[in-house]
Amino acid sequence: MTYVFQFGIVFDQFDRMLVGAWLTVQLAFLALALGLAVAIVCAYLRTTGPKPVRWLVMAYVEAIRNTPLLVQLYVIFFALPGLGLRLDANGAALAALVINFGAYATEIVRAGVQSIPVGQIEAGRALRLTRLQIYLLVVLFPAVKAVYPALASQFVLLMLGSSVVSAISANELTAISNTLQSTTFRAFEVYIIATLMYLAIAVAFRGFFAGLYWLVFVRGRGR
Amino acid sequence: MSRATRYLAAAAAAIFGLALATGQADAQTLDRILKEKKIRITAQVDSAPFGILDKDNKPTGSEIETARQIAKDLGVELELVQVTGPQRIPALLSDRADLAISSLSITTDRAKTVWFSNPHGALSIVIGAGKNVNISGPADLAGKKIGMTRATLEEQEVPKIAPPGTNIVYFDEHAATQQALLTGQVDAIGAAAFLITDLAKRAPAMGITSKFTVRTAFYGIAVKPGNMDLLQWVNTWVFVNKHNGVLAKIYETHTGVKLVDLPSM
Repeated sequence: MTYVFQFGIVFDQFDRMLVGAWLTVQLAFLALALGLAVAIVCAYLRTTGPKPVRWLVMAYVEAIRNTPLLVQLYVIFFALPGLGLRLDANGAALAALVINFGAYATEIVRAGVQSIPVGQIEAGRALRLTRLQIYLLVVLFPAVKAVYPALASQFVLLMLGSSVVSAISANELTAISNTLQSTTFRAFEVYIIATLMYLAIAVAFRGFFAGLYWLVFVRGRGR
Repeated sequence: MSRATRYLAAAAAAIFGLALATGQADAQTLDRILKEKKIRITAQVDSAPFGILDKDNKPTGSEIETARQIAKDLGVELELVQVTGPQRIPALLSDRADLAISSLSITTDRAKTVWFSNPHGALSIVIGAGKNVNISGPADLAGKKIGMTRATLEEQEVPKIAPPGTNIVYFDEHAATQQALLTGQVDAIGAAAFLITDLAKRAPAMGITSKFTVRTAFYGIAVKPGNMDLLQWVNTWVFVNKHNGVLAKIYETHTGVKLVDLPSM
């Protein structure tokens, strides 16, 4: 068994793969920002909201965490147009990733929020902080610090999971790789390059998050 | 067909080399078939409507029906040799089958490893869209979103005729491509003609039709190189059944579209 690697054909199309990788990064970061906002609001409602709202948030989290991302994607892309909401491929991909990441992050942030001892919140009240100040400064900030590694891991999973949006014709890295593979027939070469690109993005993200942690929680602690 | 073709060509060449080394192909295959009263024909049952399994798990489809008709006209028993797409040619070269009748498109690459009969069927790639989409030729594709499935004949052929400004998007499966058309996520799709006919039946309200034909690929019956006598008989059979309408009837029954005029090689 010998296989002759021919990377030349793939490198000719390298800029297309870079465009795909860039869309992957964009999708991941937008989904991170919006998903985190969803998670913070949901975690707040889940822990302090009235009972029906808590149940609603719980239903959302459980529904998303117990169904495949691909199915959620198909529902948004293929089923919602029937209800009058038409998102293009990239829009549907982003919506699915936000909803998906939001549910996982809600659980992670909720765990952090519930780990904050009651005494700390009482201390905030004693200082006459407003409800919002208490939630943001006394609860959320240390909570996010506590669950930071879990959030960062979940984010890398989100970035890697974004590969399934190729199924609805969003042109991210996996979609471009699939197309190149089926037109150049160089499956090994294309996917080896794609794998290395994903690896590089994941490693860069981990580095970014380590730096962010230091910036926000370590360096900022003295103030 | 594309990637498979090259892979096949390589695999087939290797096996063919082996076959040559172990012994010359039987020059009197037709005699042997008639004497043994049995012909072995490939059956690919994962490519509807050419070959599929029916409710009772029995092979059916236009190519299977063609195989049955050939056995009947030879007056011999039919043995179906089940194959997958990539095994169609190796099954011939390794003498597991006498004929390959599995929608094998006639290409010059494949002709290096097997001998083809005159075409007995055709597969047209068309652009299909709903009634309110205005497309009558390649030029109208500009500015429209056209969906198609990866690793198919349409993926190779449609970009060649699409004018600049055509937005071609790719899906991984036929089901997703068709769903994209039904839900309006794309304006039109490139697909085999029979798929468009089938889709039109499932969504009558949209008035889906084939807007124009992009390319027609012809497929033929293949024999192992050297089986001159068998190939000659098969060509005669194709000629006769083309003119008496049997081929067209089999094709239309199973695919739901009209068989185009079949040229001869």
